[in-house]
Amino acid sequence: MIMPIASTSKHHLAGFLGLAASCAFFVAPALAAGPKTLGFVITTWNTGLYESKFIDECPEGFNVGYDEIWWRGLSKADRARLTDNGLKSRLDRYFNAIRRGPNGEDVCMNPTVVKDPPLLTVEGKVSYGANLDGNADGSASPKTCAHENFTGLDGTPGVDNQMYRLLGCIYGFRSYGQFEVNANENRKSNGNGMTLIEITGVDDAKNDKEVEVAFYRAIDQYTLDGGGNFTPFASYRIDAPGGVPRYGSKVKGRIEDGVLLTEAGDVNLPFYGNYTYMNQEIKDMRLRLELSDDGAKARGMASGYYGVDQLMFYIGGLGPISSTAISNCPSIYVAAHELADGYPDPKTGKCTALSSAYNFSAVAAFIVHPKPNEQTAAADKR
Amino acid sequence: MNRMTSRTFALVTTVGAVLALAACDQPAPPVAGAPPTMRLLSESQYRNVIADVFGANITVGGSFDPLVRTNGLLTVGATNARITPAGLEQFDRMARSIADQVVSPKNRSVLIPCTPTVATAPDDACAAAFFKQVGRILYRRPLTNDEIQSPVAVAAAAGKDLGSFYEGISSGLAGMLVSPSFLFSIDTTEPDPAQPGKTRLDGYAKAARLSFFLWNTTPDDALLTAAEKGALHEKKGLSEQVERMLSSQKIEGGMRAFFNDMLAFDEFSKIEKDSIIYPSFSAAVAEDAKEQTLRTIVDLLLTQQGDYRDLFTTRKTFMSGPLGRIYRVAVDRPDGGWMPYEFPESDERAGLITQISFAALYSHPGRSSPTIRGRAIRESLLCQKIPDPPGDVDFSLFNDPNSPNRTARERLSVHATQPACAGCHKLTDPIGLAMERIDGAGQSRTTESGAPIDPSGDLDGVKFVDAVGLGKAMRENPAVPSCIVNRMYSYATGRTPDRSEKVLLDHFEKQFASAKFRLPKLLHDIAASDALFAVTTPESKSAATNTEKDDKS
Repeated sequence: MIMPIASTSKHHLAGFLGLAASCAFFVAPALAAGPKTLGFVITTWNTGLYESKFIDECPEGFNVGYDEIWWRGLSKADRARLTDNGLKSRLDRYFNAIRRGPNGEDVCMNPTVVKDPPLLTVEGKVSYGANLDGNADGSASPKTCAHENFTGLDGTPGVDNQMYRLLGCIYGFRSYGQFEVNANENRKSNGNGMTLIEITGVDDAKNDKEVEVAFYRAIDQYTLDGGGNFTPFASYRIDAPGGVPRYGSKVKGRIEDGVLLTEAGDVNLPFYGNYTYMNQEIKDMRLRLELSDDGAKARGMASGYYGVDQLMFYIGGLGPISSTAISNCPSIYVAAHELADGYPDPKTGKCTALSSAYNFSAVAAFIVHPKPNEQTAAADKR
Repeated sequence: MNRMTSRTFALVTTVGAVLALAACDQPAPPVAGAPPTMRLLSESQYRNVIADVFGANITVGGSFDPLVRTNGLLTVGATNARITPAGLEQFDRMARSIADQVVSPKNRSVLIPCTPTVATAPDDACAAAFFKQVGRILYRRPLTNDEIQSPVAVAAAAGKDLGSFYEGISSGLAGMLVSPSFLFSIDTTEPDPAQPGKTRLDGYAKAARLSFFLWNTTPDDALLTAAEKGALHEKKGLSEQVERMLSSQKIEGGMRAFFNDMLAFDEFSKIEKDSIIYPSFSAAVAEDAKEQTLRTIVDLLLTQQGDYRDLFTTRKTFMSGPLGRIYRVAVDRPDGGWMPYEFPESDERAGLITQISFAALYSHPGRSSPTIRGRAIRESLLCQKIPDPPGDVDFSLFNDPNSPNRTARERLSVHATQPACAGCHKLTDPIGLAMERIDGAGQSRTTESGAPIDPSGDLDGVKFVDAVGLGKAMRENPAVPSCIVNRMYSYATGRTPDRSEKVLLDHFEKQFASAKFRLPKLLHDIAASDALFAVTTPESKSAATNTEKDDKS
C-alpha cells in the first residue's frame, strides 16, 4: 500500500534502493564499487489539491464555467440571436462564449477585458504542500506576501499552498476533472513532456547525507503492459539535441530513513498536457520521494513557487477545453494575482508566484544519457 | 573487400579456415544410408522459397499443420509428415493468394518474363516460358514437357473462360503450388555408375538436401546448374558448392532455422504468461527473447567463429528495449533495434540457459519449473531422453497451497521422494533448480515466497553453485558437442541416425573437436560427406528396415 505522502510513517526506500542499485550495476559495471544511480519516470502529475469527501473545502460549491457566465449575461434576444434560436451545438456555444470580450476578444487570452464574478476559492484548513517560507503564521517576508497558511495532512503547521486555494474549487483541476485527467492521458498516449528523475551519488541506500537529483525530459514514450499500466525498469533516453540535455536542473538531496528529501532549488521541468507544451519553472522547489514495497513504483510530492504568468499562459491557452473543465479564465486571473504569496515584484511589491504542491507517481526507469561522442560533438560545435 | 559486409567477410574467412582444416581431415567412414524420402516443407521453408522465387513483398497468409517433433527435431518429423485434407485446403488457399499477387498489375511486369499478345486471351508460348522458369526453382529441377504443358493447359482454359491471360496464369501457378513436387522435397534417385546395381540420389535431390540443410530454402540457380552438370557427384564440385553456400549470407537463415528447431522455439507461438503475475512479459518480450538467443548464436558461431560450447558460458549477447525491462538493463535504443550487450562478470546471467528465451519457454504460465527446465536441458542440449511422467502422478504435495515448503527445491524434495517420480527427477531437478533465480518470465530473483533460493546442484557429478556454474559444467560435458553433432546430422538427413552410423557420428565429433568446435567446420563436414546423400537401393530396403527395428528395440 502506498501511503499518502504527508502522512506516511514508514518508508520502504531502502529495499528499493538496494534493488535498483543492483540494476545500476548492470548499466555501469565499472562503477560497481562506487556510488550508484537510481532513475524514475514520472507517470502522473497532479496539482496538489486536497479533496475532502464532501467537498467541505468549497462551501459554496464549484465555480461555474466561462460559457455559463456568458449565457447568464445574455438577454433573451441575444440568446436567440447567437444560437440560431437554440439550434447551435454546444461546441458552437463554447466558441462564441470564449470570444465574449467587448471587441470579440478571446477572454482566456485577454482575461482583463471583462469583469467577471469573483472566483470561489478554497476555504478549507488542510492541504498538501510544505512550509515553503519557514514560518507558520503566513506573515509577509522579503520573499513572500502575507497569506493564510494551511495545516498539512499529517498536522504539519504553516503549509503554503495558495495554488490549492486558487484552483481547488474549479472542477477541471480536481483529480477527476478535465484538465488533470486530460493532461495525464495526453502524456500517457503520446509520450510528450515526460519527466525523468535521476538520483546520483547514492553511497548508502538507507541513509545518505548527500545525493544529487537531476530532472530531464524523455524522448521515448512510456512503456505500457498489456493492461495499459506503466511498466517499470524500461529505458528512456534523455532529450538531448546534439548531446546536450534540453532540461537538466539539479538539486542536492539526502536520504533519511529511506526517504529521499531534497534541498530547495529552482528547477525547470518539462510539461505537456491539454495540447500545450511548456516549461514548468518551479522556484524553491523541494522534493520528497516515497517508494512502494516492491520498489518498482514511487510516489512523490514537489512543492515550490509557481509563477502567475506561467500559470495564466497555460490556462489562457486552454481555450474551449475550459468549458468541459468548467473554468473561467478572467476570474482565475484576478484571483491568482490576489492570492500570489511569493517572489514580490521589486517595483510594485506585489507577489508574482503562488506557493504550490504537486503530487506525482513514478516507476523505476533506466535513464540513458547521450553517448560521450555525441556530447563531445556538441561541445565542439559550441 | 570494401563492399563486403563484416558478416560476409567473416564467413569467407571462416570458409578459408574450414578449408585449411579440411585438408588435414580423415575421410568420413561410409554409411549405408536410408531409403529415399519425401520431406514436407516446413512453414519457414515454404515462406523462404516463395520469397526467393517471387520476392519478399509477396504475402503468405494462412496456417500450417503442425509437424511432429521426432528425435528432438521437427525436421525429422517432416520426413514422415502427411498432408491432411484441412492442410491441403490451407495450401490451396495460400497458393491462390500467392498466384493472384504474382499476376497482379503491380508485379506481373517483373515476375512474368514475357508479355502476352493480348492480355484478354491465353498465350501458350508466354505461359510455357513462365512456368518453365518458375517451375525449375519451385520443383528444384527442370520440368518435364508434361509438367510444363499441364499448367499451360490450365492457364489456357481458365484464361479463355475468364477473358484474361493473367487470370489463366494465376490458375496454372496455383496448381503448381499445391503439387507434391513443390510441397515435398522428394529424394529422386538414379542408377549409381560407381556401384552397379545400386542407386544414388540424383544431382537435383542432392542440391535440395544441401540447400534446405544449409540455407533452409530452395537451391539457387548456381546450385541447380551444378546439379544439372553432374558436379555434385564429384568431390571437387560438391566441395565448391558447399564452400560457396557456407560463404553466402543465406547461411545465417539456415542456422537460425536449425537452432530454432533444436531449441524448440516453435513453441514460442504458443507461449502464454499470466499478466497478473508477470505484467512485464509481453508478446514483444517473447518475440525479442527468441531473437536474442538466435542473435547470440549467429554472432558467436558464425560472425565470431567461436567455440560452440561457449554458448553456455558467454556473457555477450544483444539487448532490446522490451528485454531490458526484464533483465533490468539500460538500453540505449528503447524505441526499437538491438544493441550489443555484455553481462558483467559478477552477474548470474551467462550462456543460453540463463537467457529469457530458455527460462520463460520452459516454465509454466505463472511460475518457473525446475523439472521442465531440467528436462529441456537433458533433451534439447544433451540429447538425453527423459520419459514422460506417469499418467497418475500425484502433484498434491507439490501444489499444496498450505505447504510449509516455500521454495521449489523444498517442494520438489517432497514430491520427488515418491518412487514413481524419483528416477526422472534425479536427472532433471538438480540442473533445473540451478535456474531458480530466474523466474517464469525470465526475471532475476533471489527469494521465493520470502525464502532464499539455493541454486546449487550438480550435472553428472560436476558440482556447481549457480546457473553460471551449470553453464560451465555444460561447456565441459562431452554430451554437449556430441548432441549438436547428432542433431545437425539428423537435421541434414531428415532422419534419426541408426546404430550403424555411430562410427560416422564419432568421426564428425572428432573432426568438430579438432576444429575447436567451430560450427562451420561441422557444417562443411556433413554437407560435403557422402553420408548426407547416402540412400539404400530398393533391394536393401528390407535390411534397412530391420536395422531400424533393431534400433528401436
